[in-house]
Amino acid sequence: MSVAELKEKHAAATETVNNLRERLKQRRQQLLDTDVAGYARSQGKSPLTFGPTDLLCCRTLQGHTGKVYSLDWTPERNRIVSASQDGRLIVWNALTSQKTHAIKLPCAWVMTCAFSPAGQSVACGGLDSMCSIFNLNSQTDRDGNLPVSKTLSGHKGYVSCCQYVPDEDIHIITSSGDQTCVLWDITTGLRTSVFGGEFQSGHTADVLSVSINGSNSRMFVSGSCDATARLWDSRVASRAVRTFHGHEGDVNTVKFFPDGNRFGTGSDDGTCRLFDIRTGHQLQVYYQQHGDNEVPHVTSIAFSISGRLLFAGYSNGDCYVWDTLLAKVVLNLGSVQNSHEGRITCLGLSADGSALCTGSSDTNLKIWAFGGHRRVI
Amino acid sequence: MPPKEAIVLPSVENVEDQQYSFAVEYTGPPVTYDLPRAVPINVEKIPVAAVVSKVPLSDTELHIPVVPPILATDRNKFSKELLLQPTVSPTSVIAFEERVSEDTNNCLLSGELSSYESGELAELINNNDSSSRCLAACSVSNEHSSKLDSCDCFDKSRGSSSPARISNDNLNQPDWGSNESVLSLDYPSSRVSSLKIGDCNNESNGDVRRPQVVTFRDIESDDGLDEEFSQDEVQAQVVRVQKEPQTKGKKGLCYRCFKGNRFTEKEVCIVCDAKYCSNCVLRAMGSMPEGRKCVTCIGFPIDESKRRALGKCSRLLKRLLNDLEVRQIMKAEKLCEANQLPPEYICVNGQPLCYEELAILQSCPNPPTKLKPGNYWYDKVSGLWGKEGQKPSKIISPHLNVGGSMRPDASNGNTQVFINGREITKVELRMLQLAGVQVAGNPHFWVNEDGSYQEEGQKNTKGYIWGKAGMKLVCAVLSLPVPSKSSNPCGESLNSMNSRSVPDYLEQRTLQKILLVGSPGSGSSTIFKQAKILYKDVPFSEDERESIKLTIQTNLYGYLGILLDGRERFEEESSAEMRERRSSKDTEPEAGSSDDADSKTIYSVGPRLKSFSDWLVKTMVSGNLEAIFPAATREYAPLVEELWKHTAIQETYNRRGELEMLPGVASYYLERVVEILKTDYEPSDLDILYAEGATSSNGLACVDFLFPQSSPDENIDTADQHDSLLRYQLIRMQARGFGENCKWLEMFEDVGMVIFCVALSNYDKFSADGTNKMLLSRKLFETIVSHPTFDQMDFLLILNKFDMFEEKIERVPLTRCEWFNDFHPLISRYRTNTNSNSINNNPTLGQLAFHYVAVKFKRLYSSLTGRKLYVSHMKGLEPNSVDAALKFASEILKWDEERVNFSLSEHSFYSTEASSFSH
Repeated sequence: MSVAELKEKHAAATETVNNLRERLKQRRQQLLDTDVAGYARSQGKSPLTFGPTDLLCCRTLQGHTGKVYSLDWTPERNRIVSASQDGRLIVWNALTSQKTHAIKLPCAWVMTCAFSPAGQSVACGGLDSMCSIFNLNSQTDRDGNLPVSKTLSGHKGYVSCCQYVPDEDIHIITSSGDQTCVLWDITTGLRTSVFGGEFQSGHTADVLSVSINGSNSRMFVSGSCDATARLWDSRVASRAVRTFHGHEGDVNTVKFFPDGNRFGTGSDDGTCRLFDIRTGHQLQVYYQQHGDNEVPHVTSIAFSISGRLLFAGYSNGDCYVWDTLLAKVVLNLGSVQNSHEGRITCLGLSADGSALCTGSSDTNLKIWAFGGHRRVI
Repeated sequence: MPPKEAIVLPSVENVEDQQYSFAVEYTGPPVTYDLPRAVPINVEKIPVAAVVSKVPLSDTELHIPVVPPILATDRNKFSKELLLQPTVSPTSVIAFEERVSEDTNNCLLSGELSSYESGELAELINNNDSSSRCLAACSVSNEHSSKLDSCDCFDKSRGSSSPARISNDNLNQPDWGSNESVLSLDYPSSRVSSLKIGDCNNESNGDVRRPQVVTFRDIESDDGLDEEFSQDEVQAQVVRVQKEPQTKGKKGLCYRCFKGNRFTEKEVCIVCDAKYCSNCVLRAMGSMPEGRKCVTCIGFPIDESKRRALGKCSRLLKRLLNDLEVRQIMKAEKLCEANQLPPEYICVNGQPLCYEELAILQSCPNPPTKLKPGNYWYDKVSGLWGKEGQKPSKIISPHLNVGGSMRPDASNGNTQVFINGREITKVELRMLQLAGVQVAGNPHFWVNEDGSYQEEGQKNTKGYIWGKAGMKLVCAVLSLPVPSKSSNPCGESLNSMNSRSVPDYLEQRTLQKILLVGSPGSGSSTIFKQAKILYKDVPFSEDERESIKLTIQTNLYGYLGILLDGRERFEEESSAEMRERRSSKDTEPEAGSSDDADSKTIYSVGPRLKSFSDWLVKTMVSGNLEAIFPAATREYAPLVEELWKHTAIQETYNRRGELEMLPGVASYYLERVVEILKTDYEPSDLDILYAEGATSSNGLACVDFLFPQSSPDENIDTADQHDSLLRYQLIRMQARGFGENCKWLEMFEDVGMVIFCVALSNYDKFSADGTNKMLLSRKLFETIVSHPTFDQMDFLLILNKFDMFEEKIERVPLTRCEWFNDFHPLISRYRTNTNSNSINNNPTLGQLAFHYVAVKFKRLYSSLTGRKLYVSHMKGLEPNSVDAALKFASEILKWDEERVNFSLSEHSFYSTEASSFSH
């Protein structure tokens, strides 16, 4: 078979796949008779209202000297780790806003950080294509730096996101610019399984984000520059359980819905979407029309503990609080009083849902909590 | 009278100078001392005598010019302080009052204050050895204004409620006032204030703190400091080499020309204390590479009594030299190695320090301020620090591993109360009592750095010494140290972070980041390696070399595999050919027996080697080469040697041009295959340079470097030299990560410029999917250039592999790449006559083509961004070429900084820069 023939075949196959995909999409459209907002309205649900004092900035964590790129909470002890452009990780006590650790990274180009479930160690990854684990209890060296306790190397592109497998301090899932996600065993430092890649059906562009299902830690979802999100079973590395189409731009961020049956995505096309992992359907699009033509990218999202609120940070500096049920913006965190001066780059909700932490390009982190007598939602 | 005197004296001096200047000219070299001494004394005596005799008021006259300047400065300061006091003192009392009311400790504290007024102050004033305070006085006076400001803020926040009461307090008793101000200063900033009390004392004693005129300071402060210093010497038991000036004139004379009097301004050598008048100072001190030192004193350690004058310029010098020079000299004076505090002069707990210990001491989060030579004690548990035989003066960082162990009598206490094994002084005991610590029965305490204390031998913490609200005030009154603010109990890690992050942050300011990107095969890795070799003393660490060695060996096995693969093909081809030839030659085939022998061609190998080569090829194809080979090297080295020497391989190697898989560099290594595959092979720099994939395996690599000082033949002005101290960081991002989105590019928004690397010789190469590699580079270039992160970024395009390009362009037309299909070079008719065309200013085809490509990229860039692109060509394997290109990059960066100043000539500069460089 000659090269030309092969090329022809390939083109034909691609065509077929695209046709099938298009049919699938149409079929889904047909089946999708309503979305969450429509159904909620028909059930007579009223949207949430948020006063300007309902969500208050109660702490400002100052200490970074560069943009904050990523943050993560511990499950219990209310500590936060943040990664910044200045090449440092800082571990904060969110209650007292004190720093408990400042870790100077060997590679300053850090993109992501994560707290281990037990709160004993933090992980970070970045342009060095490695995921570095720091044990917070280890002794600092002569210069006062915390030594790297483990490096997970094997990615061939930057590490864009990492998350510990819940309740396991020894497993971590990373996503990378090499189009793969990897499940690591931290004790051995080896790859347990690689999701995607050359010979497997995986993402076809840089993977930007992962989120592990809180109620079933074997399932995780990944968002990629190929405008899709994929659901994976960490026991089956060969192929994705499901691929979620719908976005028209890079999927920058994915986050599981608290109940574990849905997940949210944020994309360069300016929308956040809610997908159901059981049906594969897209449940809702969250999109706010802007006056100008410029469509701001969604850079990070977080759900409130009940799932009723979706916090979404945009590249133009807005940070909307969506009512997920009625798809209405109830608050813009970017424009409330004592908000960040720069745009909000990362978001994270504490495990008990009582506080939201935002990291910003103005080098600060802020912790927000519900003011007054409003219950945690 | 004084004005008249002032007029007379200069005129006389001027006359003197003129006469005298001839004498100086004659006796330039200082070797012949007798002649100049004889002559000036004779000349001098006459005018001196004349002046003195002319003015009748010898003694009083002498004093009048001395006193006014001092008084003037003092008065200024005094009046300033008086002016400021109304703003300061109210806060102090308010703060004080509030505290008192809070604590309901009224009588105790006020009693303390009064006792302090009577006893402590007197003690302080009498305290002869007020060296540390003297020392600190300077710093305090510098900080004065800022602190007062902070008081102001404080004042505002607190609100001024009872100013009347204070003002009468103050104005009536200036001493009180100053003390009060000290207290008030202390409260908001909680700084150690014993120093400031010393400061006040100094002022009231009329000491000159920061004299503007050097002469006065010398006369006044020399004695005291010397005395004190000699004391130190005895204590330190270190024999100091006090350098004496080579010539010593009468007091007040210039040490070189032996002229002038004590009122002429002079500059002092910081080593030997020689004083020079304005005429002589430059001749005596030369270019002052280590600051104000006589030429003969350069390299000697400075006189410790002058340490605090380091870096503080005199008026005399400012007059003689321009601003920039003065700044540089002062900087050199402060920073040069010979002027640094010698560690062995500092004894901690009776043990002289070594360099490392001094460094630890000075770089800790809370270093002792204004460290001077002497004997100190240091309580490693609590961080208390003081002079031997005295009470603590500061609380520095604890647990520093400096000096010996502390002696019980370190602070010469006699109270029978011990803290961490040191008998404490009375003042400390007083403080402990005020802090509510039970001190009955002469207890022994353990005090930790956060102030928590426990009795020796007991486990439970009894309390915090500095925890009580009024303790800072009490400590201030007793002139005892309190923990500095940053060492609050929230954690040491924070502490250490604070101290580290600041210098790091400052470093970043002078660090210019250069991002180096390029598509695969553009040679950006070679540039990176070349930069390492060029600018680093140790370009590759042992570990790196080891891993590079493995990479090279693995690569080499890969090349071998390709060769063997080719050998198989050639063997098949040639045997088929042979069979064909045979079948055509003799029509009747002889079966069986001859088949074996005939199939042997020059490409055939023995069965043993065959199996090895089969295995190697198989491993290579399956992609496991990396996993197997570096480890297997030892085993296979002899086999490879045998293989390489085999004619079959040699024959194949000769036909390597037909193996398109084999990269160009392969022959460099294959020629030395036997040597390289030995286990004890050490890659040379050149080997590393040629090696593929030898920079950090994936992702990002960065190297910090300085451009080395330029060779002396290049005459650059001092400003340039200063610039050459700029640090650069070359960041290479491997092209593997370039998706179409380049999400990671925004991580590099803080770089100073981007170097984009393109391999010129790629114009006729095609990638796997059939796209021209040059066009791929162009696409990447477009993506990166138009990325929003690099909106106003400068780009330098490096057209690499110019050497290969020059050679290739003669064979393969540039139009092979469709982007370049309108390349129609004008080729001179005389071109054939001369080989070295550049000499005749007659560009070669390669140069023409380079310019053409450069213009293509420039047009593309300006159509995308509307700005101009810098272009340079480079031969990645030649160090000079890389050096030149990187220097060009640094020039662009420098130019970028100054662009604001030169924005007028922007256009002309841009265009000439690029073209002038492209030779």
